[in-house]
Amino acid sequence: MRSASVLLMGSAFETFRRIGPAAFVVKAILIAVVADVVLLGIILLRRTYRKWYFARRDAKVFEFRQNWDALISSEIPFETWRTKPFERRIIEDIVLDKLEAAGPDESARLLGFLRASGLIDKLIFEARQHLGWRRHRALVALGRTRSPESIPALSEALRDRALETRLAALRGLERTASPEAGQQILNWMSELGLRVPPLPLQSALIQCCAERPQILLAHLQHAEPTTREVLGRVLGEVSTPSLGIELLRFADDDLAELRAAAARALAHTNPSMALDVLDSLAQDPVWFVRLRAVVSLGQLRYPGAVPQLLRTVGDSHRLVRLRAAEALVDFRAERIPIFQSVVAAHDRYGLHAFLAALDNAGLVATLRVELEASPQVADNTRAILMEILRTGQLPVARVVASEIAELATSRP
Amino acid sequence: MIRFLEFANQALFYYYLACNFIYLTMLIVAFKGSASHQRRLQSVSLDSIKRSPLSPPISILTPAHNEQESISVAVQNLLDLDYPELEVIVVNDGSTDQTFQTLDERFVLRPIRAVYIQQVKTAAVKGMYRSDRDPRLLVLDKEAAGSKADAVNAGLNAATSPYVCVVDADSVLERDALMRIMIPVLTDPDRVVSAGGIVRVLNGAETRGGRVSRIRLPRKSIEVIQVVEYLRAFLIGREAWARANMLMIISGAFGVFRTDLVRAVGGYRAQAIGEDFDLVARLHRFLRDQQADYKIEFVPDPVCWTEVPSDIRSLGRQRARWQKGLLDVLWPNRDMLFRLRYGRIGVLALPYLWAFELLAPVIEVGGILTILAAACLNALSREFLVQFLFFGYAFATIISIGSVLQEEMTYKRYNEWRDVARLLTHCFFEHFPYRQINMLWRLQGLWQYLRGDREWKPLKRRGLDAANTDTKAPSAAPAS
Repeated sequence: MRSASVLLMGSAFETFRRIGPAAFVVKAILIAVVADVVLLGIILLRRTYRKWYFARRDAKVFEFRQNWDALISSEIPFETWRTKPFERRIIEDIVLDKLEAAGPDESARLLGFLRASGLIDKLIFEARQHLGWRRHRALVALGRTRSPESIPALSEALRDRALETRLAALRGLERTASPEAGQQILNWMSELGLRVPPLPLQSALIQCCAERPQILLAHLQHAEPTTREVLGRVLGEVSTPSLGIELLRFADDDLAELRAAAARALAHTNPSMALDVLDSLAQDPVWFVRLRAVVSLGQLRYPGAVPQLLRTVGDSHRLVRLRAAEALVDFRAERIPIFQSVVAAHDRYGLHAFLAALDNAGLVATLRVELEASPQVADNTRAILMEILRTGQLPVARVVASEIAELATSRP
Repeated sequence: MIRFLEFANQALFYYYLACNFIYLTMLIVAFKGSASHQRRLQSVSLDSIKRSPLSPPISILTPAHNEQESISVAVQNLLDLDYPELEVIVVNDGSTDQTFQTLDERFVLRPIRAVYIQQVKTAAVKGMYRSDRDPRLLVLDKEAAGSKADAVNAGLNAATSPYVCVVDADSVLERDALMRIMIPVLTDPDRVVSAGGIVRVLNGAETRGGRVSRIRLPRKSIEVIQVVEYLRAFLIGREAWARANMLMIISGAFGVFRTDLVRAVGGYRAQAIGEDFDLVARLHRFLRDQQADYKIEFVPDPVCWTEVPSDIRSLGRQRARWQKGLLDVLWPNRDMLFRLRYGRIGVLALPYLWAFELLAPVIEVGGILTILAAACLNALSREFLVQFLFFGYAFATIISIGSVLQEEMTYKRYNEWRDVARLLTHCFFEHFPYRQINMLWRLQGLWQYLRGDREWKPLKRRGLDAANTDTKAPSAAPAS
């Protein structure tokens, strides 16, 4: 064993000796020193160049800003700068920056300038013809114009092989925030399925479908399950009362995400129509459907929703309880009867959630004052409620069973 | 004996060579990664993140132990961060000074009975308080357990958001840092489970109202060298590891995690010396065990500014502690080494950490000793020694200058010529004698750990508006 290790070590020494690092090291030192010098040189040259470049650019920006009105009204002919890439890029940047903050009139004026000067055509050309990061850059700029004519070029880029380019196109379409862009995205999804992560897609669709959420419904019917989930979430965000009865059919959909979306969307509809559906969704086996239903019940701000909320404040899921309690706390006019009902349910989780929501809203002291002043609450009931409010504990069941029963009879 | 010394010296040479080649590869990967990141950012509008109903809520967890000097400014900064849905949970970790009273005075706290389920075990929470000034602020008053991890775990139990962001109370986040760190999460929420931002050196910068108002290099060389180290560790090391989805550290000073996953792995390990590194290692293990398709990202532009030690003694203690933390994580996870089940983490990342981070001080100090022994025995080729030293120095300097170049080409926080010149000058000092001293500290850390000394001694600091200061004990270990 020992002799084997000696042999092995011996051969390793021989190998090292044969390779002999010395000659190699001399070359390596030279290369390393040259690399050091090159890196230092790059840093120094780059800084010098950037100093010169930005001084020149700042001067040009100043000049253009001084003559801005003349520039965009074509008093200064477009030809004087359009053929000079350096100047053209500066003007493009200034216009796009201004578009971000412009109101409708100014936007129209700037867009008119982009069209008249041919800048938008140039961007469309670049978005269609270039590849890689150059295409990416053109798509970003095109999206920032928010112009309708940019939509076809952006839609074409959704079919690019590179994910980054597809995302840039999607975000560009999102910026246009137009139903036409939304339609293009939906068509693309129908054609190719999900080719980008869901969140950017949902974000784009929310922007584009906000004005006309109906365009989602047709696609929802025929979409694949994964796509339906994505669209369902979007529907939940953009739905308006105008969708009305259309939403109800999703309330018993097989997909939990779609049921949650229906629940979310129903917050924006007529309470009398939404209440029964939300009540049934608030008993859904999937917790996040119940959560959405409870949040929507709260958002309805409809006193008729209180019994449903009182039931869900004792839900098995912590977040559902919390949201139900928060919704209940928002019914300020009925706070005392609601508190009585929460106590009467004799569910310590429900009570805890309600008190936490009261605490978070800073309303414990207010409720205490209201209780003291309320003529409708009997003295012994008031004492129990005040004690519960103080301690956060339910009274021992045996001792106060009768009081609890009394509270139950006075539930709203 | 002589043969052994020759072998050891040559082995040391190849070790250096391998180490520097790995760094060179990382430099190239990082250059490419940063360029892609910057281009990708062009299409992302921070404003749309701010307005989006899809931006997930975040709970910021800030442990505070005896932070009376800076706590109110720090918390106000966190509340002022640009993000659509935010909750700030400050955990007063048994402070013996006026930390809680300062918070109460500034934010008007009232006790609440919020739901607190101890999913992760911690020391007792004495009370929960919400601010009347800003209801997004929740303060947990808990008994001290002697570790930051325990305090973060208490915050984790109280968090109600799907993502938690851990921020040190004495660090300064840039206003848009949260939105920036969430970009990879928002782009691919199913896969990205965690993201870390860059930690930069606050020393030397001018701060006003707890915000960085002017960025300058620190005055002391020891601090400037740390700036170079941080640049190299974050802009090159973490960028490169993250590109290969092998990031093993998310700085404890600033990182975002999926709440359910952190809870699933049992939160931070309270006894861990490097709790941030430990958490990421356990996340990797957990997710690999589940065969999940996941990513842990590094985002180089959301900046967290933090103080670094400004004297040798504190720096030495900090580095020893980091080394202890490294061993404290690598040793319990040794079963992951070379196991195909753990993919590239087991086959590449962990072996790298063992060979080039954990054992580096042993090998380098051992190497120096063998060189000295060989010299004493007249067995040392003087030519070889000179060449070796020159080569090691010149090669290592490439990496340091490369990290300054990376900074110059991307984020360019140090604008003045003077600062850049000083940074570059310190790239040459860093490898001699600082590197050798650092190795001794790290060796000391290993020795302390093996001896059973795992205690963490908090270091003195002066607070946010006095950055050119003593020091803190950041767990923002810039190990690559």
